[in-house]
Amino acid sequence: MPQTLSSKDQANFRSLVRLYEAKQYKKAIKTADQILKKNANHGETEAMKALTINSQGNQEEAFALGKVALQHDMKSHITWHVYGILWRSVKNYDEAIRAYKMALRIEPESAQILRDLALLQVQMRDYQGHIQSRKLMLQAKPTLRQNWTGLAVAHHIAGELKAAESMLETYEGTLKQQPSRADSEHSEAALYRNMIIEEEGDNERALEHLNSIKKTNLDRTAVLEVEARLLLKLGRLEEAEKAYRGLVDRNNEYRAYFEGLEKSMGLDRAKESDIPKLVELYESYASKSERLDAARRIPLDFLEGERFEKAADAYLQRMLRKGVPSTFTNIKGLYADESKRKIIIKLVEGYLSIAPEKSESESNGDKPDRLRESTLFYLNQHYNYHITRDLDKALKYVEEVIKLAPKNIVYIQAKARVLKHLGNVTKAAEIMEFARASDEKDRYINTKAAKYQLRNNDNDRAVKTMSKFTRNEAVGGALGDLHDMQCMWFLTEDGEAYVRRGKLGLALKRFKSIYDIFETWYEDQFDFHFFSIRKGAVRAYMDLLRWEDHIRDHPFFSRAAINAINIYCQLYDDPSLAGPQVNGSIDFDKLDANEKKKALKKAKKEQEKQEKVEAERRESERKAMLKSQKAQKKDPDAEVKQADADPNGKKLLETKTPLDDATPYVNFLLEFAPKNIESQFAGFDVFVRKAKILLALKCIQAAHQINPDHPGLHERLTRFRKTLDASESSNPKVAQVIKSCISIIPASSGLSEANESYLTKHKSSPQHIYSALRTRAFLDPSSKAQNEKELLTSLDHASLEDAIDGLALLKRWGSKEDVKSKYVDAAMKKWSEATVLSGGANASAGAER
Amino acid sequence: MASEPQPSTVHEGADNEDAPVPTNAEDRKTAAAMSNLEGRGDEDDSRNGKHVDAEALGKAMQSLSVESGADKAAEKKVKVEAVDVSLLVEQLELSKIKATELLKAHEGDAVKAMTAFVMAAV
Repeated sequence: MPQTLSSKDQANFRSLVRLYEAKQYKKAIKTADQILKKNANHGETEAMKALTINSQGNQEEAFALGKVALQHDMKSHITWHVYGILWRSVKNYDEAIRAYKMALRIEPESAQILRDLALLQVQMRDYQGHIQSRKLMLQAKPTLRQNWTGLAVAHHIAGELKAAESMLETYEGTLKQQPSRADSEHSEAALYRNMIIEEEGDNERALEHLNSIKKTNLDRTAVLEVEARLLLKLGRLEEAEKAYRGLVDRNNEYRAYFEGLEKSMGLDRAKESDIPKLVELYESYASKSERLDAARRIPLDFLEGERFEKAADAYLQRMLRKGVPSTFTNIKGLYADESKRKIIIKLVEGYLSIAPEKSESESNGDKPDRLRESTLFYLNQHYNYHITRDLDKALKYVEEVIKLAPKNIVYIQAKARVLKHLGNVTKAAEIMEFARASDEKDRYINTKAAKYQLRNNDNDRAVKTMSKFTRNEAVGGALGDLHDMQCMWFLTEDGEAYVRRGKLGLALKRFKSIYDIFETWYEDQFDFHFFSIRKGAVRAYMDLLRWEDHIRDHPFFSRAAINAINIYCQLYDDPSLAGPQVNGSIDFDKLDANEKKKALKKAKKEQEKQEKVEAERRESERKAMLKSQKAQKKDPDAEVKQADADPNGKKLLETKTPLDDATPYVNFLLEFAPKNIESQFAGFDVFVRKAKILLALKCIQAAHQINPDHPGLHERLTRFRKTLDASESSNPKVAQVIKSCISIIPASSGLSEANESYLTKHKSSPQHIYSALRTRAFLDPSSKAQNEKELLTSLDHASLEDAIDGLALLKRWGSKEDVKSKYVDAAMKKWSEATVLSGGANASAGAER
Repeated sequence: MASEPQPSTVHEGADNEDAPVPTNAEDRKTAAAMSNLEGRGDEDDSRNGKHVDAEALGKAMQSLSVESGADKAAEKKVKVEAVDVSLLVEQLELSKIKATELLKAHEGDAVKAMTAFVMAAV
């Protein structure tokens, strides 16, 4: 029922709204209570109170009251609007949209509700709904340019280019006079319109339009770039060449301009006859200034043989004599070509025999043997690089260069890198730490040191190192700040270190943080739906929307997701992983059942004790923080960030539904990184455990498309066959689908034999051997001893990375300590430096204090 | 969370855009306004906007209703069995809407639809 208030209370209600908007929540609640005293069950007041409570951070109470308010007055747009806002604040946009629509039905004139609805719709990518809402907004206020632009954008993202353009055109047509030149909104809108025309594919008209706005437009660079591009697309090469030359004059290090210039001159790198012309082109630019890099570097991409050697020699000498540290980084792109690789290393090794030039050094006051120094460093990087790796040489060169410049952090860091590649993570971390200590103000080296500590599984020290540059008074200390700052590389490496240490809860926690960060990035666009349109920055806004639609194709996301999915699958296979872990220094397998129980009990007690200590520590931290906040007289209404209730990821780990928890990761992974075979494998691993046969089949056949020889495929094909044979109750239609897709799946009979012949066929490829051994263990659990033996012999062909995987495999199988140490010993004979195999710091899982 | 206890009328309205006929006049007006919106877009020629008088925003607004083209009448009517929809939802973990779309794209043939789904190129 609509409820009316006395005039005095109406005034009170208005002041309640004002107080809320001014964020004076305490006063607002007081006022609301005052009204409610006299008018119990007044829905709109209750709604406003709920909104205020929500802003204070108490969502549950707010929701409860919001619903009561709705029951008391469901004919009020305020109660519905508030209800929508509450849903929005918990990010349930579907429910929020429904509530807003109800509110609008009651109060169709409300611009505020309509706006909120439109913003939600674009966030949800409800294109048609968004168009409708934007249309209504425009009808309400057609004089406002942003409403026209808003509708144009709505059409544009819905793919309706013509409609979008005509919106902009119509508005321009209503202008009485040309807007002033300084009107940036108009300038943006003009370029935006041009962008739409170009997207329509009508280059001719786009150019025409561009010429009409060229003179007055404020974004000069954009205009010139679009002009050059359109001319090129239209085949008006002469004009295009002129345009690109103009662009190169504006920025002569930007590769894209040179690319355009080549095309507009009709030059083709693949054509032998064009090469001299290309050389001439770049020489003409290179001769303009000694400092230009692009014009000197680009020709190395297309030159071959002798001409390449000459050009590379000039380029390398120029860079190395100057002592440019990034020379190798600039050059390594050429390493994909083997012949170029060989020429380069021959040249650089030759520079070692060039005697230092005395005269030059005296005049500049430089070190006399700078060429030698940078040559040695280049050689170190060359032999450290994965394609041309020879770690003994790399180590030799870096030690020589350190002798020349013992204090140079760059060289010390390079040495740490070599050691890391040798597998000596412990010493690598030490050296990096030494480099860090020699320049504590250098954030780069600090970050590197932390990363190397993580590679050495030393999570605690890594956080300590990071804390030298974080805001440590943040909730959760340094680690909390790293979360706030969305420091993804750290969270990923931290999580992977925890995986290696067998601390799956903490690992899951970190990967979940990465997941959440991407979620936040997606949420973050919300503010721009309003802001960008109001400011008229439409082109950037369109870029943002398009970028948001595929943010999760970022490698950081895949990496975290695959890690998380692996853990969830392990948890599903062995739920005891979620329980207390027995101290790794005891050989658990040797104990009999009774002793095992005791050990587990002891471990549990220890864990509880540890948790208690930690909880106390957190409590005291929290108190200290509150104290300091009070001391600073902080605004009590300010947002208070809650401390994490599950800092060790215990709850994540104790999940009853690991596969369901993995599902969101799988869905994003398959949607955004389907071409990564690891994504398909991760998807398969979850679906096959969930007995979702068709989905598992889809993943495995996608993986087969990507790379039919990938070692991960064999074991999964076998597993699929087994799962298929075990599930009988399949629907006939499903069975029919499987039948038509089955060509890649092995036959039911002779799986073991097929596996053995796979093993023989790939007997020199460790990864394929692992796949076959896993398959054998899966088909016949009693084969463990044999598998362990064959794993050991596979070391002959293995690389260090393979050996690390092999060791992980032993851990998965739950092999006994003596088997593992035998494997490690054998591997250490091959890679004497590889402490990574013995586990770095915190060697035995769970063995730290 | 949508299943939270709510007055039944409220829930229905919130759930479904085209709710049953509203009871009071105000709501009817709103509903009418909304359905009007959906009615536009039968004439499809965005160029009409060009003839708009430069000063007359009003006219521009009128032409607005002409702008939005893309009528959806072209959608083919394909009969889709409910059993098949739930089969796809169950097997392929699709939403009901997506499952229906997939079936429609394959003439309502569940086997064809699922095969195409599984064998899709990467």
